[in-house]
Amino acid sequence: MANKFQSKERRLFGVGIQGWIKGFFSGNAGVSMGVIFLIFLFLVFEAVRFFPDHHRELKLVRRTGQEYVDFLRREARGYQEISSYTNQAYFQELDARFGVQRGLVDGFEVLQGMIEDGAEPEIEALAEARDVSDPVALRAAEKRYWGRVGEIVDSAERSSVDSFGRLSTEESAWQSLLQAARRYDAVEEETPDLILAAEARTESGMAEFRKAKTMISSAGSDLKNLRDRLVRIASATRKDAETDYSLGMRKKALLEGSGKLDGKAREEQIAEAEALKVLDQFPFEVRVQPIIDSHDEHQKAVEHLKEQLKKGIAALPTEFSSEASKKLVMKIREAEPAYLEALDQSLEEASEWTWNEEVNWSSSVSRFFLGKEWKTASGGWRQLYGFLPLFTGSVTISMIALCFALPFSIGAAIYVNQLSSRWERSFMKPAIEMIQAIPSIVLGFFGIMVLGNMLVEYSDSPWVSWLPGFPITQRLNMLNAGMLLALMAIPTIFTLCEDALNNVPRSFSEASLALGASRFQTVQRVVVPAAISGILAAVLLGLGRIIGETMVVLLVAGNRIAMPDWGDGLGIITQPSHTMTGIIAQEMGEVSEGTLHYRALFLIGLVLFVVSLLINLSAQKLTKRLGAHV
Amino acid sequence: MTNSTSTGHNADDSIISIEDLSFSYDIGKTNTLRNISLKIPEGRVTSFIGPSGCGKSTLLRCLNRMNDLVETSRITGGRIEILGQDINAPDVDVIELRKHVGMLFQKYNPFPKSIYENVAYGLRVQGVRRMDILDQAVEESLRKAALWLEVKDRLDASALELSGGQQQRLCIARTIAVKPRIILMDEPCSALDPIATARIEELISELQDDFTIVIVTHNMQQAARVSDQTAFFYLGELVEYADTTTIFGNPKAKQTEDYISGRFG
Repeated sequence: MANKFQSKERRLFGVGIQGWIKGFFSGNAGVSMGVIFLIFLFLVFEAVRFFPDHHRELKLVRRTGQEYVDFLRREARGYQEISSYTNQAYFQELDARFGVQRGLVDGFEVLQGMIEDGAEPEIEALAEARDVSDPVALRAAEKRYWGRVGEIVDSAERSSVDSFGRLSTEESAWQSLLQAARRYDAVEEETPDLILAAEARTESGMAEFRKAKTMISSAGSDLKNLRDRLVRIASATRKDAETDYSLGMRKKALLEGSGKLDGKAREEQIAEAEALKVLDQFPFEVRVQPIIDSHDEHQKAVEHLKEQLKKGIAALPTEFSSEASKKLVMKIREAEPAYLEALDQSLEEASEWTWNEEVNWSSSVSRFFLGKEWKTASGGWRQLYGFLPLFTGSVTISMIALCFALPFSIGAAIYVNQLSSRWERSFMKPAIEMIQAIPSIVLGFFGIMVLGNMLVEYSDSPWVSWLPGFPITQRLNMLNAGMLLALMAIPTIFTLCEDALNNVPRSFSEASLALGASRFQTVQRVVVPAAISGILAAVLLGLGRIIGETMVVLLVAGNRIAMPDWGDGLGIITQPSHTMTGIIAQEMGEVSEGTLHYRALFLIGLVLFVVSLLINLSAQKLTKRLGAHV
Repeated sequence: MTNSTSTGHNADDSIISIEDLSFSYDIGKTNTLRNISLKIPEGRVTSFIGPSGCGKSTLLRCLNRMNDLVETSRITGGRIEILGQDINAPDVDVIELRKHVGMLFQKYNPFPKSIYENVAYGLRVQGVRRMDILDQAVEESLRKAALWLEVKDRLDASALELSGGQQQRLCIARTIAVKPRIILMDEPCSALDPIATARIEELISELQDDFTIVIVTHNMQQAARVSDQTAFFYLGELVEYADTTTIFGNPKAKQTEDYISGRFG
């Protein structure tokens, strides 16, 4: 008997129309999920291979002795810092104590140059006339010369000569300088007494300081020379080792490839391969020997440095006319013991260093995640892939952005949802959500051209200059980037927050109002607590948006790859920084596929992906909790 | 239509006095309430009955100005006096008004807080911080709301863990903790089962000694059971207002009789 309820639906390849429609939609969902999964796989696949490559690189750095040379480089870097502080302190003090004298000396030098350039024909004529000793011609030449000099000195008004403004309050010194210039004989090139006296005074007044400065600045010359020599040796070793390695790889490839060829072609290829001179084993032991042998010299250089430095720093003056100089010298004195200790430690580590010790696998991981320096191959000396400064930059910028975005977005959401009139709501909500429509590149442009300049210009006004990190000297910094990112996060947080508040049943606020609570009390005690998990989810999603944002930070954050200078405390927010997203965008274009650098960028991408994933997952969890409890 | 204001009591003991009140939710459109006058006596239970959309809830919400939440709504005529004060006068603080006129809603709506915090809420927003005062008020209110014995051991538990009837009684406790003079009840039993309803009704008769109660109800038997006066509304107008026994026994208006006997509504 026929089925009375037989389907009348048309069928295609045995599947009904309903089935096809269902398949279409499930296919769409499936493709999206599949793409996510593939991206994740791709990322993981490229990223994890960083670790073996990194391990090989670290091994190479040890075998070539680069690791040892890094001890010297680090020692010299600390020393150079102290030396440069000393220099700064010296010149600050010089300026404070002998500003007038310096103004005279420098000003005279400028005037001298102007006269020599501007009165060239007159000087020549005068010199010639003196040689010939024709009194008439001599008088004429002298008259022309002195006239010309007078003109030059008259035209050289204050601004162009006294460029540091040292003489701006010293009218008499200025006048006598001009006087001396008017009498300057460019043929005899005799320095006026005024200038000589000024130089002598400066000389004697600063003698003590200069002696200390010279002591400090010459203290490290042995170490620096040794460093430069060892850098050359290690670099050469590394270059040769790399060449040998790539030749070896090529030879291997040629020999393997020859298996597929026949006859003459095969023989030719084998011959080509055999012609490549590859060392069986690269003679690291021989090449690293001079570096190992230099350890005694290294030790001596460090001892010398310590001794001279101690003497030099002890010889630094204790009385100052300049506040800045005083501060710098105090900084040097404070840094001295730590630096000397670091020197000893470095030397000790260097003496324990051996070229053939195995490299731990864990250091391949930890040097990435805890490394504080990021230097790519183009830098020359060696590659360093330390992820920490990038991570710190990203996190700091995100926190700054959240600090700005939270009050604005949550406050606006509370106002629009709870306190505003219907009329206000009708334009406020769309207006805030409109921020999302600004392309990030436009925001970045705004950050560079407008916000950056404004921050620098207004940050030294007395209203704000007490803030940490103010006044701001760098236009592109984390604060600038954070403020712009906050702007990008505000619509996200605002919209989700408003939704969360909207989901709080009206009956809650009605009950509260009916009990005699004010609007504000109702918001504070009932509505916000009831919506809190939704608000937190909104904040997390905003954070996810901030941390993944690229364009703005690339343009505005300043892109300095270094750990923030923690000495500034909260002031680090006005320092420039690089970010995880920014570094990928900036460097991915330049790297060649498969290199260590390339894999390092992928690893950063993977970290970003995981961080965003965690943020989104926790936001989802929170949203679910909200759904459960209302 | 007979706009009756005779209640069997003299006008002096009325606590709420509504005179010729008209009200619109959307100004310029039709009035939801038209020319309503009635006096509600103190210490009694007054019920508002009538078919859906007749304006009984609207009138109730006028009494503590909950309609202020609807931006476009306006009183278009007449006045409401509570304790002799015009409640829509410009110098009336709506917060002070609501401290005197409490309200209970159709769907029980405790806050997602602990039982204790729910009852203490009204006092806390008034700035009461002393724990002994709060403790005492919470206990007293819960006792009056006949909930104390059921919850005294779990005051810190979430209010949302209680049953529906308990939640509504918690809402009553929360309302009386503020010690209002008047309690407005907007169909307080419509979301409850018959047993919970019976307990609330019992409670209403007990509360009558301390508070003036105005109750809106769909349930005519409930009005007959709990109230002393009954007002019948139809299409935004007050049709009849009298002692409950009169309304249910001997209604004057034909509409009242038809509604009570179930011919419409």
